[in-house]
Amino acid sequence: MPAPIRILTAVPICDGHDSAINTINLEFIRHGIEVVYLGFHRYVSDIVRAAIQEDVAAIGISSYNGGHIEFFADVVRHLKKLGASDIKVFGGGGGTITHDDAREMKRKGVDQIFFAGTPLTEMVAYVKKHYAKPRKARAKSNVDLTLARQLTEIEDAKGKVKNSKSKNSKRPKVIGFTGPGGAGKTTLIDELVLRFLKQDRQSRVAILSHDPSVVGEGALLGDRATMINSQDDRVFMRSMATRGQAGGLSPATESCLQLLAHSDFDYVIIETVGTGQEAMPFRNQLVDQTVLVMNPDYGARLQLQKIVMLDVADIVVVNKTDLDRAKAALSEIEHRLTQNKRDQQIVATVAKRHRDAGVDELFELITNSKSSVAAVSDRRNRKNRRSETAATSRKKS
Amino acid sequence: MSKLGAVVEAVGKHEQFVRDQVKRARSDEKFARELTERWNKFKSEIPVSKTPTGIPLPRLALPEIDEAGEIARYLFGEGLPGEFPFLNAAYREMYLEPLQHNEQGSFKRSTSARSTSSNGAKKNGARPPEEPTRLFSGLMLAEDTNKRFHFLSAHQRSKRLSTAFDGPTLYGIDSDADGVFGKIGEGGVAVDTVEDMVRLYDGFEVGSPDFSASMTISGPAPIIMAMYIAAAKRRFGNGVVPNLRGTIQADIFKEVQAQNETIFPIEASLRFLLDMIEWTSANMPRWYPVSISGYHIGEAGSTPVQQAAYTLSNGFAYVEMLMARGADVNVFGPRLSFFLDCGLDAEYIALARVSRKIWAIGMRDVFGAGPKAQLFKLHTQTSGRSLVAAEFKNNLTRTAAELMLAYMNATNSCHSNSADEPFTTPSEEWIRLASHAQAILLEESGIFKHTMNMLSGSPGMKAVERAVEKAILDEFREIESLGGVMGAVENRYQRSQIQNAAHRYEEQIYDGTRPIIALNRYRNGSDEMPEVELARTPRSRQQLQVDRLKKFKARNAAKAQKELEKLAAVVETDENCFPALLEAAEVCSLGQISGCLQEVVGRFRPMV
Repeated sequence: MPAPIRILTAVPICDGHDSAINTINLEFIRHGIEVVYLGFHRYVSDIVRAAIQEDVAAIGISSYNGGHIEFFADVVRHLKKLGASDIKVFGGGGGTITHDDAREMKRKGVDQIFFAGTPLTEMVAYVKKHYAKPRKARAKSNVDLTLARQLTEIEDAKGKVKNSKSKNSKRPKVIGFTGPGGAGKTTLIDELVLRFLKQDRQSRVAILSHDPSVVGEGALLGDRATMINSQDDRVFMRSMATRGQAGGLSPATESCLQLLAHSDFDYVIIETVGTGQEAMPFRNQLVDQTVLVMNPDYGARLQLQKIVMLDVADIVVVNKTDLDRAKAALSEIEHRLTQNKRDQQIVATVAKRHRDAGVDELFELITNSKSSVAAVSDRRNRKNRRSETAATSRKKS
Repeated sequence: MSKLGAVVEAVGKHEQFVRDQVKRARSDEKFARELTERWNKFKSEIPVSKTPTGIPLPRLALPEIDEAGEIARYLFGEGLPGEFPFLNAAYREMYLEPLQHNEQGSFKRSTSARSTSSNGAKKNGARPPEEPTRLFSGLMLAEDTNKRFHFLSAHQRSKRLSTAFDGPTLYGIDSDADGVFGKIGEGGVAVDTVEDMVRLYDGFEVGSPDFSASMTISGPAPIIMAMYIAAAKRRFGNGVVPNLRGTIQADIFKEVQAQNETIFPIEASLRFLLDMIEWTSANMPRWYPVSISGYHIGEAGSTPVQQAAYTLSNGFAYVEMLMARGADVNVFGPRLSFFLDCGLDAEYIALARVSRKIWAIGMRDVFGAGPKAQLFKLHTQTSGRSLVAAEFKNNLTRTAAELMLAYMNATNSCHSNSADEPFTTPSEEWIRLASHAQAILLEESGIFKHTMNMLSGSPGMKAVERAVEKAILDEFREIESLGGVMGAVENRYQRSQIQNAAHRYEEQIYDGTRPIIALNRYRNGSDEMPEVELARTPRSRQQLQVDRLKKFKARNAAKAQKELEKLAAVVETDENCFPALLEAAEVCSLGQISGCLQEVVGRFRPMV
């Protein structure tokens, strides 16, 4: 069976009309397409960067607020400039895009414009017919383009691809984020990214984010849509669908991670899908540090005994501590961690809050190896490796 | 937990109160006699107007009932127009033509007059009321929109302007920012500075009791409000401020739930909004500093019930937050106004009527508001979503039907959409037809100008009222169970409900269970769109806006820096930051101010 088609959808800058695209996204994923949804009010540069990093076959733009001729043409131009003109552009805007406009947009390199009243099935059929072709090699290729295409190859071969060992001696620190859906993992990561970007001027961060595939094998990869700080050239983000694998990651995660770990990043962050109590997604020493993100609303205290990750996480973040139940949750979780006798850290955050002190503390724990949590002997080797990539030594690169 | 649960209880208690009064009227003879006498006396005093064809009509039609229980049910359950719980109308006479001298009977002026009570300027009952027509407009640069405003209001006694802003303005971004050039002046007017604001309303007496401005903007609303005030002061001096009349949308909750034009985190957005409401309530007694809006919730795809339920609950949440800050409900309460969509679904026959009743009961019984703060003052717009591009002239009929529904709900003001809206900012030809549709309905036809309650109270309308009220209260209970409006918002409850409804609506169109004439039924086979004149902003105009802004910034660079630092310092404290915004608006651009605020409070994280 061929790998799913991947496309990216977005709504242009200064446009919040996301009703049509939400409906269309659902139709796409129901028909086996993987949709990376970038959200509304997005700049051309954000759309093109995301399309390249995600290595999608096409970009679908839903525009209802005017200025579409210019905007669509800009996307095409920008893709070409970066050597990614194999990524196609299509879209629609209900009645706001006239037939004359559409003709002009096509002259400027847009593949197809759908008008009001087009059945959703027609759009799905169009995407399946035109964007399922195998990707061709690119003539001109920069670092992100190459990396993105390599990740596609790994993913489409279900991870059964041997990585060419990179000559890069610098190893990034790999941090794994997991926890139940709705705990605020994506927001937390995006807030950490802001701090990564602010601490110096050149370091790069990679994010490997996961969302579940649905029946029919499509997936809505929507983490980018809620991110604000990670829309930056210094952040390489890749959204992966689980493609049938249970446990929070994709069959290709491990190979993709190896590739990223040998690329030029200072930090690599993995975010699992929202996980259940029994999940333990990071095996085989996949990551250097594990962060479990929890919501204070986990239910009765007894539930804590069943959460496996509480035994193995290096850092437990209790997010949303502005909620009423937070105080009790913090003390219950702290008590549970004490029983483990493993010197695990607990951090209280309100990730949605700008300049949150808890997120600052978490950032310190992640970037400062001295406060590292790896007190247990079997982690000693990794602890040593981590100190090489700690904040102080990174500044030389 | 929020006060929404208390509102549900209060509505239930009120229903019980009405039932008790009905029972009492049927068992207590003295009470029954009093009620009947009051009813008969009131009926006999209703003035009578003559139609142009010569038949006499009462200025208020009442149900033909003479049994005390039924009278009690009507008076307590619905209320006369202008009386609690305001089911029939917020005011006694609404759109009626002024009474001529030779006609008989009279209402005491104090109980009527929507126009005079809202501006308080004239006690003279003979003054013709303001037209409820309020047309939304905004295109290209400020001077272009200004020209359109003069064109639209040329034949109106009162100048009621409604302003649409372009995308960059709605998102608090300057026209000279990277990546927004093509959006300048598209879908609305570009406003970057106080100077644009001066150009926008040039030639209008903004302090006159005959003028009011409405501004449809929410994310950066406090900044735009400050610019409006600064522009008015430049033209007419500081003394004009207390006389300013109008509305700014400023509804953060509905942005987060549906329209997605939010630029600061929710808590910070709310703080700026409440700061502005407190300041304008104290200093601009004729201004409506927030228009609590269901329109965009409806347009994003919600059902009519969801629209009303989310709008009302958002309103109650604002009241609760303002009171928590110590604001007086009887000071800010009368300055709250509402904005609903009116489409073609059956619920719209009574949606606004029921909303008015629930608001009044909640405000009186839960928040202790006096009569003026109990009024649900409503602006309605016909549904943009109901219009389609295919055989677009049908949109005239759709809008006409929606206008009927809107006026049957006794809306206080109304915008009728142009038939060409599915593909462009309305052109003059079609916007003129839209405006005339209202004049035909209100002035030419006899449907609304002779008699209040002309179409109220049919058995069908009552059935819709009951169903809608029950469904709204069920929604309230659901929101309350999620921790009130704020908790529900953070759980993205309203967003997902709206998205589900939108999805269902689309599916109904595609599978034909929701007929849209000429789209999925009775198609003429041609997909070609009509030739209409498109309102698009030429590049040269867009460049002019950028150039003007750059000059403004260069000229004010030093002063702007100082004001922004002052503003940032105030925002760091708990003080009301609106006075600092007013000063910044004199010398800073919109983007400079929103950028400064975002440095302190952060940016809005989109919800999907």
